[in-house]
Amino acid sequence: MSAPITPLEARGLSQRFGRKRVLRRVDLRLDGGEIVGLVGANGAGKTTLFSILSGLMAADEGERRLGGQAVDELSLELRARFAYVAHRPQVYAGLSARENLELAAGLRASVGAETLPSDQALARFGLSDAADRLVGAFSRGMAQRLALARAFAARPEVLILDEPFTALDRQGRELLAEILADERARGAAILLSSHDHEMLARVADRILHLEGGVIAGEVRRGDDDPDGERFRLAALALWSGPAGAAEG
Amino acid sequence: MRLLRQIRLLLVAELRQEIRSFEVVLTSAFFSLVMLALFALSLGAIPASAQVAAAPGALWLSVAFVGGLTLTRVFDRERESDTLRALLVAPVDRLAIYFAKAAIALLVLLIATAVLVPGLVVVFPAAAPMAERPLFTAALVVLGCVGYVAVGTLFAAGLATGSGKNVLLSLILHPLTTPVLMFNLVATRALLEAHPGADAYLGRMAAVDVILVGLGAWLFEPVLVGGGGSQRRAAARPGRGA
Repeated sequence: MSAPITPLEARGLSQRFGRKRVLRRVDLRLDGGEIVGLVGANGAGKTTLFSILSGLMAADEGERRLGGQAVDELSLELRARFAYVAHRPQVYAGLSARENLELAAGLRASVGAETLPSDQALARFGLSDAADRLVGAFSRGMAQRLALARAFAARPEVLILDEPFTALDRQGRELLAEILADERARGAAILLSSHDHEMLARVADRILHLEGGVIAGEVRRGDDDPDGERFRLAALALWSGPAGAAEG
Repeated sequence: MRLLRQIRLLLVAELRQEIRSFEVVLTSAFFSLVMLALFALSLGAIPASAQVAAAPGALWLSVAFVGGLTLTRVFDRERESDTLRALLVAPVDRLAIYFAKAAIALLVLLIATAVLVPGLVVVFPAAAPMAERPLFTAALVVLGCVGYVAVGTLFAAGLATGSGKNVLLSLILHPLTTPVLMFNLVATRALLEAHPGADAYLGRMAAVDVILVGLGAWLFEPVLVGGGGSQRRAAARPGRGA
């Protein structure tokens, strides 16, 4: 295994769409073994930030690095150690769940990256019974589970999840929370957004509030807060009250 | 080797999806039959000397329309599920995407021409040399379609990831593929006229194909993800939110 691709760092990211400034000099750092939540109103720029961090989009200004390397210059081998789950599941409707995972695994194998076996990945997200069904017949929640299964099967070192709890039922959200905790324990760096603030406060170590194109506030889980209650309250205050830094 | 493996994986996925619905193949084949019927009704009774000029035009005009239809549909699958963006984040060589898409589009076009060419021979008796020299005709059709697909795939991919709509593909595709189609048309006419230099056209078409495929492969990444680098601007306009 070569050097880790953590931390994920962004410095001075700015982005404008026409006359609208979506991001203004956003700085961010994500280390291995931590889960960072990103909250913000619709249109705050969360998806834009994720698209830039994942390399799908160039920023007008600023830089983004994985393990010290510019995201633009990552080799395919290093890219295989990164995963991004967009708000839409982005799975092939004309393939079965198993075929979707096997396609991703095959592409990863071609660059020498290992992937969890499809059956194992599907079972992890409760999709074993639907393994051979066409994804076009899946509900939105099942498709979301499949997208998550595909991402987590890669055992990524850095994972960006854009509203991963969307469309999941209660059981699915609980399952994802457990898996996120497992991945953090494995050392993965996870950045996710969600409008499910309670769930985010439960799984995250830090929560950032994106407002007006800037990181307007941050709360951090404290060592002296074992049940996370102070963190939860601080997080809820963060997105419901005036922006500002706080210690949970 | 890695590139070939990724092309194969992506192509197999395309074929699997197509075999389950035959959506693109059936649409293209049916559209080819419609084109044939229209040509038969409108031009079937023209003199043989005029048929020599009409048949190549009918063939490559049909290929242009069927090709536009095919490329639109091939990339619509990606657009509908937003899967092209998933591929752009995955450890996938951009060239693998280009060649896999071009290959599936070429396959569909060749199936369409397998309907068109015999049909044109029936409609236009002056097109009989296409049946008399099947290997030459097959080479002509394959080389002509390769050139068309090399250009078409490039721009269809760009529109699939950008904010452009399908209607733009036709607006962009037809002007840009016209030189290729005109070259194909001249070569086909040379075949029908038993021109002594007809064989040389195949070599020229192959040379043009090499250039077009090379240009397509070279430009694919900038067109797909926007200007220059390995990951650039417009690949992922935010799908939701901002």
